[in-house]
Amino acid sequence: MMLARVADSLYWMGRYVERAEHMCRLMDVMLNATLDRSEAANQVGRIALASADHPDPAKVVDPYEAALALTLDRENESSITTSLANARENARQVRDQITTEAWERLNVLYLRMTGAGAARAFADGSSSFLTEAIADLHLFKGAADATMSHGEGWSFLTLGVHLERAQLIGRMLEVCFGEGRTTAVSDHFALTSLLRMSCALEPYLRVYTADIQPKHILAFLLLDAEFPRSIRFCTQRMEEHLSAVSRHAEVAPAANPERLAGRLKARLQYADMSEIEAGGASAFLTTVLDECAAIHQALYEVYVAYPLELRLPA
Amino acid sequence: MSTARSVEMAETETSATPAPYDEMQPADGPVRPHYAALEARLATLTPGQLAERQRTLERFFLLQGITFTVYGAESTTERIIPTDLLPRIIPADEWAKIEAGLAQRLKALNMFLTDIYGEQQILMDGVVPRELVLSAPSYRREMQNLFVPHAAYANVCGSDLIRQPDGAFAVLEDNLRVPSGVSYMLANREASKRVFPGTFRGAGVRSIDRYPDLLLSTLKSMVADWRPNPQVVVLTPGVYNSAYYEHAYLARLMGAPLVEGRDLVVHDNMVFMRTTTGLRRVDVIYRRVDDDFIDPLTFRRDSGLGAAGLFNAYRAGNVVICNAPGTGVADDKAVYAYVPQIIRYYLGEDAILPNIETFLCREPAQLSHVLANLDKFVVKAVGASGGYGMLVGPHSTKAQQAEFADALRADPENYIAQPTIQLSTAPCLVDSTIEPRHVDLRPFILCGDKITVTPGALTRVALKRGSLVVNSSQGGGSKDTWVLSGDGKAVRP
Repeated sequence: MMLARVADSLYWMGRYVERAEHMCRLMDVMLNATLDRSEAANQVGRIALASADHPDPAKVVDPYEAALALTLDRENESSITTSLANARENARQVRDQITTEAWERLNVLYLRMTGAGAARAFADGSSSFLTEAIADLHLFKGAADATMSHGEGWSFLTLGVHLERAQLIGRMLEVCFGEGRTTAVSDHFALTSLLRMSCALEPYLRVYTADIQPKHILAFLLLDAEFPRSIRFCTQRMEEHLSAVSRHAEVAPAANPERLAGRLKARLQYADMSEIEAGGASAFLTTVLDECAAIHQALYEVYVAYPLELRLPA
Repeated sequence: MSTARSVEMAETETSATPAPYDEMQPADGPVRPHYAALEARLATLTPGQLAERQRTLERFFLLQGITFTVYGAESTTERIIPTDLLPRIIPADEWAKIEAGLAQRLKALNMFLTDIYGEQQILMDGVVPRELVLSAPSYRREMQNLFVPHAAYANVCGSDLIRQPDGAFAVLEDNLRVPSGVSYMLANREASKRVFPGTFRGAGVRSIDRYPDLLLSTLKSMVADWRPNPQVVVLTPGVYNSAYYEHAYLARLMGAPLVEGRDLVVHDNMVFMRTTTGLRRVDVIYRRVDDDFIDPLTFRRDSGLGAAGLFNAYRAGNVVICNAPGTGVADDKAVYAYVPQIIRYYLGEDAILPNIETFLCREPAQLSHVLANLDKFVVKAVGASGGYGMLVGPHSTKAQQAEFADALRADPENYIAQPTIQLSTAPCLVDSTIEPRHVDLRPFILCGDKITVTPGALTRVALKRGSLVVNSSQGGGSKDTWVLSGDGKAVRP
């Protein structure tokens, strides 16, 4: 049992932390790739910006300026600092629910990213700046994992992380393999960059070796059971935690987000790559993303913004 | 730090006033024995080392998020409360008197509240003027004839004490509404243990760590005993309140949910909170929201910080609100002048801690004395707080004095006057050197089934040289306060 508002804040804290981490990786890979001046490098830049929901990636002339805005611009809703500020704001709202160890990690990172020296540090070395931010976010997640009770609050936090992660990876795959792409991404450099953006290069190589193929990447990021950034893995975690939080709530089965997560998990677990390819990867990705959105919706309706008259004591 | 009600004092010293009492060293003598160990330790530290420790301290506060938010026109920034490195030390015998005085005072004030919201015997006996109490804005008619367990209206009290030039402590203000600052007392202690571990260990400082669990048991003692395992919550105005850190801190250390008004639902005169598993009954609300805002149906209708119907649930005895609404009538600035009489009336004792001399402008003789000496007095509006509606005589212009004289004559009942008060000074680290600064003392007293005085306090510091204003909103800071278990003499440095 916990306050609905608190569950909401923990959930969004998880989402924003994950969003910040993903954005760090997108920007880092993009800046690294665009050090070269090649068409492949430009393509990587467009993929990263489109995955970051940039309004018009094709028009971006200077990837450094774009990355700077998406890192430090507080006015930009998708920027890393905005996500971190939102994560910290949510953490502050539930400061009594998270441990001092976890709070300190997030607070230190926030203070560094918004402090006076941030712009200078980014200019001095964007890669180390972003890598350090990722490392700090890992520290936060590790501290939370190691110090917070793994109860209901932890479940909402973890739900936020994994739902956000599934949607971010899904969005990135949609950018590369979804509908409306004039040319499918097939260049080796672009494909490895894609794996780097999802922190998947090394785990991928262990499974598929250096044979880098779009269909293998799709299979790995969608369907792998063990890789923590595959959508299937995220869905498994979501189902586990939804089942944990639903233990105490009296939820009508049809509306239960646990059912939706279980269905999506089964869809990914028993999916067949050749069937997906036959039906078009884009249609499959759309289904997956729609179902993620439905899980979010159901979570809200059941745990956070439920109608009061249904829950009054007899 | 938000001070719900703040200390307002003269801004600068005047030459006519006697020299302030110094906590560490009298002007013409050696260092006081309880400061000897700290002084010896300080003598071994260079200014650079001191500055380094000050930075460690500030970093500790920043990391913990012990900050208050400054809302500016262009940007919103978070700042830490200026915190001073050097502890203020109070020996056991002095503390014993403070402790007895505070307990006596809170006991009498709770008896006063019980009487005012009950039979009003003290008004019938003419000890306190009837209209002075009943016309005070902080008097809540809604509280009349309500049962309050243990007759404990004010459960958490944070009195402001000052030390006068003769060395005696006096009460400047009783904060019985929603006193704040206790988290700074606890955080300052954490910090000073890190900064002066050796001196701390040797000094025999009394522990204040139990404050959160004493607070919790005080709150639980307020529930009717037929409800086992009462659900205690902390009610905060929200994350934008300047004392939010403290609300979250206390909730965390008590293990109580930190709720906002929007989390509460009143149904059938019972209070519930919205949880992930539906509505859960709430038994005790430690509210950090002012009376006016707790229930839009009973008090201010435009308030979104409380819960509609909360007061009716309280009336019905289904929930306890701590502190009780209406406690402000006992820390009203005009009622303050009568506290010594109130103590004598209920307890038959003399006040252990004296008041500051206070002139009530409602009395014609006192009014004419105040009018004749406007340049020496601090004049305060009874209803106002936070430094508004106030004249600081020695620091005012003739025009301001004339303006106040008119206001006093037009509405004398609304004003009191006090002589400009010389606060004691304590050594503080200012720009790497140690200089005396004026300080006050805010101890915290709990009252449920019994009264507990925490052996520690928040010492507030006026960091500007010569300033007597300790408010955090006006450049005030704070420092740790060591209450010793002995006289502090037999210690190793």
